[in-house]
Amino acid sequence: MLKSLNRKIAILLWIIALAYLFFSFNLPAYPYVPVDSDVLPIILGILLFLLAAILFFMKDEVVDKKKVNITQSDLFRLLSVLFLIVIYVILLEIVGFLIITILFIFFCSYVLGYQKHIVNLLTSVLVPLTFYLLFTKLLQIKLPQGVLSFF
Amino acid sequence: MGGFEGILSGFQVAFSWEGIVFVFIGVLAGTFIGMLPGLGPISAIAVMIPISYGFDPTIALVMMAGVYYGAVFGGSTSSILLNAPGISGTVATAFDGHPMAIQGKAGKALAIAAISSFIGGTFGVILLMLFAPMLASVAIAFGPPEYFALMFLALTAIASLSEGSLVKALISGVLGFMFATVGIDSQTGTPRFTFGNANLLSGIEFLVIALGLFALAEVCFLIINSKKENKEIQQNIGSLKLSRSDFKEMKGPATRQSLLGFIIGVLPGAGATIASFIGYIFEKKLSKNPESFGKGSIKGLTAPETANNAATSGAFVPLLSLGIPGSGTTAVLLGALLVLGVQPGPLLFEEHPTLFWGVIASMYIGNVFLLILNLPLIPYIAKILLIPRPLLISLVITFCMIGVYAISFNTFDLYLLLLFGVIGFFMRLVHFPAPPFILSFILGGMIEQSLRQTLTISNGSLGIFLERPIAIIFLILAILTIVIPFFRKKPIEP
Repeated sequence: MLKSLNRKIAILLWIIALAYLFFSFNLPAYPYVPVDSDVLPIILGILLFLLAAILFFMKDEVVDKKKVNITQSDLFRLLSVLFLIVIYVILLEIVGFLIITILFIFFCSYVLGYQKHIVNLLTSVLVPLTFYLLFTKLLQIKLPQGVLSFF
Repeated sequence: MGGFEGILSGFQVAFSWEGIVFVFIGVLAGTFIGMLPGLGPISAIAVMIPISYGFDPTIALVMMAGVYYGAVFGGSTSSILLNAPGISGTVATAFDGHPMAIQGKAGKALAIAAISSFIGGTFGVILLMLFAPMLASVAIAFGPPEYFALMFLALTAIASLSEGSLVKALISGVLGFMFATVGIDSQTGTPRFTFGNANLLSGIEFLVIALGLFALAEVCFLIINSKKENKEIQQNIGSLKLSRSDFKEMKGPATRQSLLGFIIGVLPGAGATIASFIGYIFEKKLSKNPESFGKGSIKGLTAPETANNAATSGAFVPLLSLGIPGSGTTAVLLGALLVLGVQPGPLLFEEHPTLFWGVIASMYIGNVFLLILNLPLIPYIAKILLIPRPLLISLVITFCMIGVYAISFNTFDLYLLLLFGVIGFFMRLVHFPAPPFILSFILGGMIEQSLRQTLTISNGSLGIFLERPIAIIFLILAILTIVIPFFRKKPIEP
């Protein structure tokens, strides 16, 4: 029964719709307005539920020619990049923008299979430096300095 | 300020050194980003938004509009040279452009594309100049019921004209709307769906969604395809010169598609992509030898290139005169304007004539720059296609993260960015279109507000819509856009 992709998505959407509706019905009422804060969310929740029902009974389109097949190595590279992004976000305010961005660009390109290390190093140093100067000096936007707080 | 003075002050801004410099930066960035296969105009604009913070709103919009039409202009280069369209609006360009390149006439194809784009773009701007004020003067009489109905129409139209299944497009729109309800409700002050998280009280930043759903999701696909894509770039571009007979052949489609493309661009839901396909099919039907189409026909290349650029100008009509975007791209432009504190709409024309006319006037300059960038300089600019994919991917991810951080100074939004990147990636994987999502996310708050204003006027009675003829027409059109595709068996195919 759950072989069709549309059905799997429909069930996921039902769960989202029901959870959304649950929270919508629990929104506090406010007496003096014609459209309270829960009106639109309830309509949206019901709409999503109904649309998911239509999707459930729809045949999967034949999209073989466009089908994206993801190989194991693709998936590995994708997950590695996502992992690097998470590390970046965690360390951004601790280590500081400049260092972490230099490291991120270098390792991200490396993970994706870039072999020219000197070009990579140059890019990963020059681009963050330009951005740092552009933002802090020209646009007056402060970026986290982190351990380089004297800079 | 009188009409003429407004036009004058707009041209003054556009022709000031600041205006000229930033329209150049905009079109240059647009050309580059549009050329890179995988990154579309929405990503291009979203990436540029953080740079425009603190700018004068007119200059910011001048630049970002330049990014938009620059991307449509520049997208044709990779369609022709790589057969890998930089953006969806130039898919039809590859039909005849790439065969020409294979025949060793890449230079000629690039020249035709650049000149057609210039004609379509410039003609579109002239029409925009005529029609936007006219529409604004009509729209000034619109009240909340009309606005509600019009926005509703924009949402249903984009869903029904999106690629793929209507149901999926509608679901995408509803999901976008749901994310718009997160945060403190503006009328009652009730926090909705914030789950006690203080970062969510002010709602989700639109830039987070635009960058996540488009730029980051597109990057995910680049990562997956980065090893497979080893297409040869035509190194030898050949002569850029066109003969008199080439021009003669371009004349017909260029004139017709300038007009048709513009009209399609004005309509809600349709944009450069649809205009280019319709333009292509239209000229093929009209042609005396349709069999030459797809084999390097000059007409087949001129038609989509003129139409998509004319449509880009057309898309600015509803945005500038009504304040209502008809497409995903103009929705992102609207979001950018709102961040800068400008509310587009019929009053924009009266209250900020400098912005209104400044943007339009800058488009003339922008199109001239694009012609220069895309004709004599194209062999050098096309070198950007040689940037190694891994470097490109790392840089785009970095731009996205800097952009989000620079507006919120908050790592929470970076996690949200990642979340929307993953959502966008999965949506694309299972063929759910993203433009309805971003449009309904941006219109969501405005729709709720106009519905509330409407029902406050009528004391809660929905009957008010029946008393407003314009609102009824919009609502009927909206219902038709959803109902008709259900009865149409086969989707339109190029």
